[in-house]
Amino acid sequence: MNYLALVFAPLFLSGFVYFVTKKNFFAKYISLLFFIFLLFQSVSIYMQLPNEGYMFLGEFLKVPAFDFSLKLEVDRLSTIMLVLTSILLILVTLSSWSMEKQSAYFSLLIFFSGAIFGVFMSTNLLWFFIFWELTLIPMYFLVGIWGSEGRVYASIKFFLYTHVASMFILLAFFLLFKQSGTFDMTLIKESVLVTPVLIWWLLFIGFAVKMPLFPFHTWLPDAHVQAPAPVSVLLAGVLLKMGAYAMIRFVILMLPQQAHKYAFVLLALGIVSLLYAGFMALYETHLKKMVAYSSISHMGLVAIAISTLSYDGLSSALFEMIAHAFIISPLFLIAGFFHHKTGSWYMKDMGGIMQKAPYLSAIFVFAGLGALGLPATMGFVGELTILLSGMKAYGAWIGVIVLSSIVGSSYIIWTLRRVIYGQMSDVVSKTDFTMSRVEFFALLIFTFVILVFGVYPQALFEVINKAFSSYVSLGGAL
Amino acid sequence: MSAFSILFVMSLFSFALHNLKILKRLSILVFGISFGLTLNHYQIPLMGFETSSSVELFEMVLFVVLGATVLSLDEHIAITQTLFLATASVLILESFTLVSFVISFEALSIISFVLVSYMKNDKEASGAIGMFISGSFATAIIMLGVAFYLLDGHSLTQKISVNVDGFGMLGLWIVLVGLFYKLTIVPMHSWALDSYAKVRPAYAGILSGIVKTVVFLATFKMFAPFIDANFAISSSILVTLALITMTLGNFLAIFTKKVEQILSYSSIAHAGYMLLAFVSVKSSYAQSGLLYMAIAYIFMQTSVFLLLDKLSNGKGNLYLEDLKGLAQKDKLSALFLTIQLFSLAGIPLLAGFMGKAVLVYAVVDANFIFVALFTLLNSALSVGYYAWIVKHFYFDTKNNEEKVVTVSKPIYVSQTIFLVGTLYFGMFAFNVFGFSF
Repeated sequence: MNYLALVFAPLFLSGFVYFVTKKNFFAKYISLLFFIFLLFQSVSIYMQLPNEGYMFLGEFLKVPAFDFSLKLEVDRLSTIMLVLTSILLILVTLSSWSMEKQSAYFSLLIFFSGAIFGVFMSTNLLWFFIFWELTLIPMYFLVGIWGSEGRVYASIKFFLYTHVASMFILLAFFLLFKQSGTFDMTLIKESVLVTPVLIWWLLFIGFAVKMPLFPFHTWLPDAHVQAPAPVSVLLAGVLLKMGAYAMIRFVILMLPQQAHKYAFVLLALGIVSLLYAGFMALYETHLKKMVAYSSISHMGLVAIAISTLSYDGLSSALFEMIAHAFIISPLFLIAGFFHHKTGSWYMKDMGGIMQKAPYLSAIFVFAGLGALGLPATMGFVGELTILLSGMKAYGAWIGVIVLSSIVGSSYIIWTLRRVIYGQMSDVVSKTDFTMSRVEFFALLIFTFVILVFGVYPQALFEVINKAFSSYVSLGGAL
Repeated sequence: MSAFSILFVMSLFSFALHNLKILKRLSILVFGISFGLTLNHYQIPLMGFETSSSVELFEMVLFVVLGATVLSLDEHIAITQTLFLATASVLILESFTLVSFVISFEALSIISFVLVSYMKNDKEASGAIGMFISGSFATAIIMLGVAFYLLDGHSLTQKISVNVDGFGMLGLWIVLVGLFYKLTIVPMHSWALDSYAKVRPAYAGILSGIVKTVVFLATFKMFAPFIDANFAISSSILVTLALITMTLGNFLAIFTKKVEQILSYSSIAHAGYMLLAFVSVKSSYAQSGLLYMAIAYIFMQTSVFLLLDKLSNGKGNLYLEDLKGLAQKDKLSALFLTIQLFSLAGIPLLAGFMGKAVLVYAVVDANFIFVALFTLLNSALSVGYYAWIVKHFYFDTKNNEEKVVTVSKPIYVSQTIFLVGTLYFGMFAFNVFGFSF
């Protein structure tokens, strides 16, 4: 089978879904089936992977002039991202089961899947950038059309902010091409660059926005809050991961010498993001914004782990990325659901939801506990391994990040107290909290994953560790 | 020159054809034949004119675009002028002596004046007059420049001499300034703001999309060696002009509510991007960059204006509010507009992105890294207003006031041709590299 289809078929399929499926009801089945197909494909790619290096998947348009050839190659790191993305896409489809204007919605979702697969699969920098930018288009429409009150502002801010950041990336890629003569990232590593420092900084700024790190994070609270809940899941679970993936792939693995020199910037911004976003979450009374800040805070943790430039650090970063995707998603989904039902975003209007919707509340509490890093959840394993790898690389002082755990516990527990427990508010007592079965099923899967890999993380670590074993030669702490 | 002859004969003959339907079909046929002739490199030699691979490629694109344009035009005079336009474009693109260049440039200008002179109301009249006055002004300046150039003992019937100084140099710079009027380079841009927004949108599309691009390519072909030889003096002037032009265009566009006006500002911004080809003339990518940008621009700009013309029933004067909920009313038109606007904004997989990317790479290649960064940021900023237009189609609900009318089938066909062009040159980029002037 030609793997180019994984990238280009979605672009056509999305057109088909938009124009042909007049009956809403087909669109979601088509996209569900397609995403399951993507999952099978990604897993089968993973099975065939060699132990080290890249596996060639296909090539399209060989153009020597501008090195404009789409080359699809994957290694373990990108295949893990592919599997994660396809699982999240399936769960997002399930969570969007009762969305309005389904043919348009699911056609955008399918388009997004093609773009994001392109991001993880292409090793040609120019095509990587093309797909990187293409992910913005469906996101712009998904936030803008299905979002809540401030959707227009949020969608345009998101589009503009991340697009401006991408320009830094594009300039860096152009400089790489000028200095190495190729857009192929597997070849660039071996070439001698003239201005590696400038390139490193351009890439760093570009990817820091997507990740996002303080002070480049301001697009995120708006976009996450205004987006419909399933799209917030995509933003947090896939788009932020894309930023972190690119940070590992380009800023660390492609330019290791500069990374060693400037890793402290990543560390500093990571710590600031972690604490700043944590305190912002503590202060926030807007339920979904609280979750959004907690999301930034976790990405700060990932940044710290990446900055250690060590085998342990990168593994724990990848674990935390996956953990974050599964923990933050149910929080977004349930927060969105509460808003949909009660009509309010604010915690003061909620309270005592446990009495009306015990199962849903239980999942919210569980995911919340995962976010604060309670043992037996993925959150705990992620935070602990990051702490350990950080201590190994930087010494005991890195223990300050435990502070964030305290802040995290405070805002999560306080939120639970105000939203789930406590006295039932008037709004809640008048609301009917019945959720469709399909959407509830998606939540259960999230919970299941958090629990399983929280109790038995080795299973996941075995996969993750292999991803970085080929980069052991990174030098330094490795 | 073979395409020239058949186009010229058809242009003259078109006055005698009163049946609009037959004229349309015949024009499209003639464009098709010209395309075929150019594709097969069929040449009739003529003194003062020569062709090259990239000129041929651009001419073919031009014939396709003009064919698609004719499909959505519905006035006799407009179709006639389109034929004349093609004739003059072939002339100016293939001319290599100063005299043939200036004469074909004047022919092109006069055709544009005739095109806009078919006006229906005061608004269109004021746009046309503004354009006419500034055009005559530009002509006068160009003549002055040519006079200075001759004064220094250079010949009109040869290629521009590269080693010039004194009056020769001054003369060529004055000619360039005159041309910059047509190319809407700031500060010679102000007529365009008025004219593009006031004349009928279809004509604005032809003027800003087709005529400007043709003149740009021809100017580059003519003056690139001169700029290259005198790079020390010209680079700083050109960098300044390019940056000011794109920034002003983009900034003004953000604060405008009238759609045609936004597009005319964006057209000025694009002139700024294209001027970068002169800045990066030392790079081997400058030629393909400009060629790419020109091809992309001719597709997207013409398409957007033509569709707006049809949506407003030829009246123009569309405000952003009028386009609210367009996607509910007309799914296809909204999609066409969205894709072309995103292409203008430089979103990947569309020709606009590749055009900008190659052009900016040429700038990087010529070691103007901060100019490149500034350009990229400018282009990113422009997404703000393009996305803002698109927002009205999809995010808002239908407007009760019915200013926007439904579009007929031939328009969809013509728009599909534009769309295919935008997508084709966005993905199959290699067609443009390796062509030279």
